[in-house]
Amino acid sequence: MADTVRSQTPAPPRTAEISTLSFALVVSVPVLIFLLVVVAYPLAYALYLSFHEIRFFGGYSATWNGIANYSKVLTDQSFWSSLGRSLRFTVVTVILTLAVGLGLALILKHLPGKWRWLRALIILPWAVSPYGAGILFTYLGRGQTGIGTALANWLGSEHTVALISASFVIEYLAVGAAWNMAPLVAFFLLANMLTTPARLYDLAKIDQMSPLETFRHVTLPPLRFTLFVFSCITTVLAMKTFDYIFTATQGGPGSASAVLTYTLYKISFVNLDLGYGAAMSFFLLAVILGATGLLYLLWGRREERQ
Amino acid sequence: MTSRNARTLWLVLAVAVALLWTFLPMYWVVKYAFMTKTEIARFPPMLYPHQPNLASFFNIFGYDYTLSDGTVFKASGQARQIMLGVRNSLIVALVVTIITTLVVVPLSYVFARLHFPFKGKLLAAILLSVSLPPVSTLIPFYTLYVQLGLTGTLTGLIIVTLTITIPIVAWMLIGFFRNLPPVELLARVDGFSRLYTLARIIVPMAKSGILVAAVIAFLFSWNEYVYAQILVTGSNAVTLPAAMSGFLFQVPEPAQLAASLLLSLLPPFCIAFFLQKHIAEMHIA
Repeated sequence: MADTVRSQTPAPPRTAEISTLSFALVVSVPVLIFLLVVVAYPLAYALYLSFHEIRFFGGYSATWNGIANYSKVLTDQSFWSSLGRSLRFTVVTVILTLAVGLGLALILKHLPGKWRWLRALIILPWAVSPYGAGILFTYLGRGQTGIGTALANWLGSEHTVALISASFVIEYLAVGAAWNMAPLVAFFLLANMLTTPARLYDLAKIDQMSPLETFRHVTLPPLRFTLFVFSCITTVLAMKTFDYIFTATQGGPGSASAVLTYTLYKISFVNLDLGYGAAMSFFLLAVILGATGLLYLLWGRREERQ
Repeated sequence: MTSRNARTLWLVLAVAVALLWTFLPMYWVVKYAFMTKTEIARFPPMLYPHQPNLASFFNIFGYDYTLSDGTVFKASGQARQIMLGVRNSLIVALVVTIITTLVVVPLSYVFARLHFPFKGKLLAAILLSVSLPPVSTLIPFYTLYVQLGLTGTLTGLIIVTLTITIPIVAWMLIGFFRNLPPVELLARVDGFSRLYTLARIIVPMAKSGILVAAVIAFLFSWNEYVYAQILVTGSNAVTLPAAMSGFLFQVPEPAQLAASLLLSLLPPFCIAFFLQKHIAEMHIA
């Protein structure tokens, strides 16, 4: 009896250890099941819808129509023009967000200790919701109430100056999106900058580098990975943006800011053409994945190797 | 000495531009909260409220307000929605923040530090869910919710909000955990179990990263509008953003919109203001 007890208890009094795999499973399986339900279900349902024609008039009906929805997307003029607006909005937003983020980070880095609290103010636009930013930028940009008219009047002109105009509304909205997102980029860049040893700047001074050269060869290299990560995040967010554009312009003036998500909303929730909307949403998903994949191939791979 | 003065001058200028960029868009709309309807409609637009008043703050909470000249501003008909919205938004944001943090911290630790089969594929699934646009997942959720009776409920909104916060916060934290010094082997030599290592060594080391994750989860759920607009508008589970949109679309009320927007900005501003120094510690490279 005593023998069996001794042989069953392991000699060292160590805590029970589980293998890497089972530890990983214990932690992540519940989450993955949750994600599966909330990701796989909507995807599968959208896939089902995309192969059917859904009608609400005269009773709900779903008729199988093969790839008709998909081929209709490809010949739909409004799909291509919306896609063009989405891409234009995304490219301008990403460039502005990274540029403004870098600028803010440089300013924050050079603040002397006494003025460090200003950092807490610069972060604030990031805490504004996309729909809130939409509200702010719609009043700021309208001809009747906007800053453009106020400035023009201050300079002595009687004209209304609308920043939200058919030709540049996309760029104007991109400025607002960058205003919303750039502070977060700035703070992550700042975190990187603060890890660059001060000695490197002394060496750059000894080498008599100009401020621009110092920036290029000392400040920038450690930031490149963060810049890449945020170019991906901003790309995905800009392509997905709906609430910001919905509250800012509702796709207007005309359809000048009807980006792909907005066109999708109109097809699915205004026209109630659910099958067609679902098919088009897969094109949007493909564009988002394609864009991030392309960014990785062109830029990310190079950064990771270092 | 002169070059130092010049540098200071440039810095002051740069800071001024940065502050203008940061606050002008907010100021432009927030000033409406202190103006009357006629003042807002004036042309050219007024740069500041000439006779600031607090009427809209009283109105959105259901009180009439009388100006000193006797003009009465009637309580807003949406006051009930706004008050419900404040309460519901707080509940949803707090619950979502707690669940997200509890779930994501172990998850992203595992993905960042351990090697196991199918890791790449599982990671890809998380990234895919980050890329899903809400507009395309709305219809499936809506039909499912109608069948389960979850439309117009806080539970339904919490579940759907978790599908946004969990992937995006996991994505950010994985990069953060990857950069912590590799202490696991040392902990194992000392005979600590994996769970103990995670709870007692990794979590304290990663305090600022976890705080930032919680803040991001709070902001995403406090600021969520797309799902709320479709799933809970008009019900007792309405959230602040959905309640506010009544001032924007149905009968435009810029003053009350600005007042409720200011209200909705207060919690995120407080959090961002006090936690920004932890964000400045997020090294993800």
